[in-house]
Amino acid sequence: MITIRKAKDRGHADHGWLNTWHTFSFASYFDPAHMGFRSLRVINDDRVAPGKGFGAHGHRDMEIISYVLEGNLAHKDSMGESRTIGPNTIQAMSAGTGIVHSEFNPSPKEPVHFLQIWIEPAVEDVKPTYHQMSFEPSEKRGKLRLIAAPYADQAKADGAALINQDARVWASELGAGESLTQPIAPGRFGYVQVARGNVLLNGQKLGEGDGAAISAESSLTLAGDGSDGGEFILFDLA
Amino acid sequence: MQDLNVVVVFYSRTGLTENLALAAAVGAVEGKANIRLRRIPETASDETIAAIPGWRENHDRMSWEYIAPREADTLWAEGLIVAIPHWLSLSSPEVKSYLDNLAREKLAGKFAAALGPKGLDQALAAAGLTIVPPVVGADAAECARLAGVRVADAIRAEKFGGSGH
Repeated sequence: MITIRKAKDRGHADHGWLNTWHTFSFASYFDPAHMGFRSLRVINDDRVAPGKGFGAHGHRDMEIISYVLEGNLAHKDSMGESRTIGPNTIQAMSAGTGIVHSEFNPSPKEPVHFLQIWIEPAVEDVKPTYHQMSFEPSEKRGKLRLIAAPYADQAKADGAALINQDARVWASELGAGESLTQPIAPGRFGYVQVARGNVLLNGQKLGEGDGAAISAESSLTLAGDGSDGGEFILFDLA
Repeated sequence: MQDLNVVVVFYSRTGLTENLALAAAVGAVEGKANIRLRRIPETASDETIAAIPGWRENHDRMSWEYIAPREADTLWAEGLIVAIPHWLSLSSPEVKSYLDNLAREKLAGKFAAALGPKGLDQALAAAGLTIVPPVVGADAAECARLAGVRVADAIRAEKFGGSGH
């Protein structure tokens, strides 16, 4: 079964400095019907104005992944990390016992557009960690690029972030007419979030910002749709 | 998460006290509190700032990254942690102005920890706050972190009973 969450039906808040769309309940957007899907708790589609950002704040027991689509994000945290990320870079934090971090758009002119993803950890009170790794755009073009996984050996081998949950996360960009197929193991779930452009999921049209919750499917075929195809994030969830 | 709110207010020139404030905030988060970090605004002149290495760049960065403490923050918070450099006098203009404003707020029933010069805890107590006993040790950041945990624990014990651990 594929349940589509249309982009325009998501929670929305425009604070001026931040224009954000919430796939699931977040901050002042609360809808009991959209509290998350399996361990996936948050997908925020954020656009932050030049020079603005999220001041220092705390998290506990959450796996937090940022995926930049356009622009840059300057990150600073209580683990001593102070780094800037752009497109084709994975930023993943395990908040565990507690972290404090800030995320700002360092550009004086350009906005930053990024997806903020939260996955609930399977275990609490882990030691906080920060992972950041970049990849070539070609690594996600026409195929799935693993960005987060729970197995240290797989995460390390594939240059992905290690997360404390039985979930895998990929990014992919498909040109018009390009396609790929990914099996879903029995009893597993999936979620697709379209970051930009258009894709077909098992023949169903998904536009920019649309999401799809997947259960009881054995296989997913994703294809670039429209004139330019699209980019999406795929989750495999317990 | 239980709703425990802690605001950490600091004054820093070269970032050292900012790091203590961050450590205290981490401790409060470890104690399962929501946190806000607020920076006491600079009152020194540009010439004074320029004379000390590292002050200018940290001043500009912190001015960008933090906002000043507001009454809304202390209304929101059940716990307040104040971090100022231990060598800074409580009568220095930055600190005095902050403490004077704080004394006008309704703070009874809220908890506080002081990270700074002698007398800071008394000044916070005089403003009506209940002081959480300081953590003494050689590692200032670790003491700050533990202060954060203690403030969160004190709020939890007051609001919900028990230590939560």
